Amino acid sequence: MTTAVPYTAEISRATPACFVFLVDQSASMEDPIGGPARQRKADVVADALNRLLTELSVKCAKEEGVRDYFHVAVIGYGHTSVGSAFTGPLAGRDLVPLSQVADRPARVEDRVKKFPDGAGGLVESRVKFPVWIDPVANGGTPMCRALAQADALVADWVARHPAGFPPIVLNLTDGESTDGDPLEAALALQRHVSADGAALLFNLHVSGSAAIPVTFPDSPAALPDTYARALFEMSSPLPQHMRFYALQQGIACTDLSRGFAYNADITTVVQFLDIGTRATDLR
Amino acid sequence: MFTTALRAPKLGSAEAECEDAHLVLPAEAPDTWRTEPVLVAVADGASESLLSGPWAALLTTGLLAHVAADPRALDAPEAFADALARAGLAWRPWLADYVARREAAGRPIAWYEQPGLDRGPHATALAARFAPDADGRTTWAAAALGDSCLFHTRGADLLHAFPLADAGAFDSSPGLVNALTTDTALLARHTRTASGAAEQGDQFFLCTDALAAWFLREAERGGAPWDLLAEHTRGGDPERFAAWLEAARAAGEVRNDDVTLVHVDLG
Repeated sequence: MTTAVPYTAEISRATPACFVFLVDQSASMEDPIGGPARQRKADVVADALNRLLTELSVKCAKEEGVRDYFHVAVIGYGHTSVGSAFTGPLAGRDLVPLSQVADRPARVEDRVKKFPDGAGGLVESRVKFPVWIDPVANGGTPMCRALAQADALVADWVARHPAGFPPIVLNLTDGESTDGDPLEAALALQRHVSADGAALLFNLHVSGSAAIPVTFPDSPAALPDTYARALFEMSSPLPQHMRFYALQQGIACTDLSRGFAYNADITTVVQFLDIGTRATDLR
Repeated sequence: MFTTALRAPKLGSAEAECEDAHLVLPAEAPDTWRTEPVLVAVADGASESLLSGPWAALLTTGLLAHVAADPRALDAPEAFADALARAGLAWRPWLADYVARREAAGRPIAWYEQPGLDRGPHATALAARFAPDADGRTTWAAAALGDSCLFHTRGADLLHAFPLADAGAFDSSPGLVNALTTDTALLARHTRTASGAAEQGDQFFLCTDALAAWFLREAERGGAPWDLLAEHTRGGDPERFAAWLEAARAAGEVRNDDVTLVHVDLG
């Protein structure tokens, strides 16, 4: 179905959508993230992705199982390889239907989570935490190869779903590409177009620097270095429904905002994934 | 009066996956003229909650049991809220039985289902009572929480649209009844009631939101969508109705959602 307004196509089992996550697994992901928590960047990113896959599974769960509204790939890129970052039964797979993601985590950990006690304090409770992605930090940052792999997945997806919601690629990185300038690969990826719009590429920079964080900027002017400006140029404009949702979350953005966040802390990583994977219309 | 109902799942879903529910008491029977009071309930299970279809069915059953016992349940938001909360009391026993059946079948509740079960299912609710008198007039009363609608028509006129009267008023977050809610004050704040008198020949249509939004849009354009719906209910051919719905969805006129229609025909 052709829609007049882009990024409004129905997402259903017959017309699913796809997410491709690119995860920087270079050595510097061993370093702590900015903000007071000082957790390793690799841990923050892996936890955020595991949490997102959990929330997607819960959101799409019906009594007969998880519905395949989405297919999901997680591509890791570091010194030794570019490829599937799934561990456990899904190891080596690229785009996986969500029902299989939900049924096949590598393991389910018991974790302690703090909940508001309703009186201004917090209480601890044990929760199940499924794990599909383990933190990895090793070697260089072959971002061009990672984007090329995403490009292949996106091209194939759009060819098979020409009327559907366009693929969304979320690149989570802390450093500069070590295998060339990623701009052309990033722009090429966004040239794959379904009847509902162009494939979307969002970039999230996780950093330990003291620079002021920037979320969904509408120009590169406030960005501190050429690398941040390059990632801005690589990023797609945020579709209207995501801008609307970001505003609801209290994040300022404009009609020209790009799907880019610089110097993200833990909260921003989670919010970025939440907004960047926000679906419009599940049927 | 005659009563007829039609329903259809959203495109891409099986009949069993339809999360709408309706109930007519005495039983819906298109060829049977009723002279006693007729009760109708319609509920639309929220697609983002788990087991909302069974909850919608329990809700219609529970609501009409309360209205049958005490028609004043439709007269004031507080009374209807009380009926909604009482209907919710059936949920936990139903769920316990469901969980036991799943375990017995070797399919215990999965980790991704538990958060949805803990939150409880959601549905809209609309209930109405039609009471004919010896002079051929019918008094009616209705109560609703959410965006399932009742329309009262006479000839070429739409006399009453309840609780929404404007096609622009439909959005993706209608008021919903959670099976675990016992807060009757909260339910009452979101409840609307209406009542009136009807004449022989008048028509009532109770619809879930996708069809209700289409109905109001057509009426706002000066059309008479009730004529088309009455043609379908009187024809008594669900397949023909499904074919019309499919075409209307493809043309972007009706949103792809579960659809329920109950037609109360005063002759």
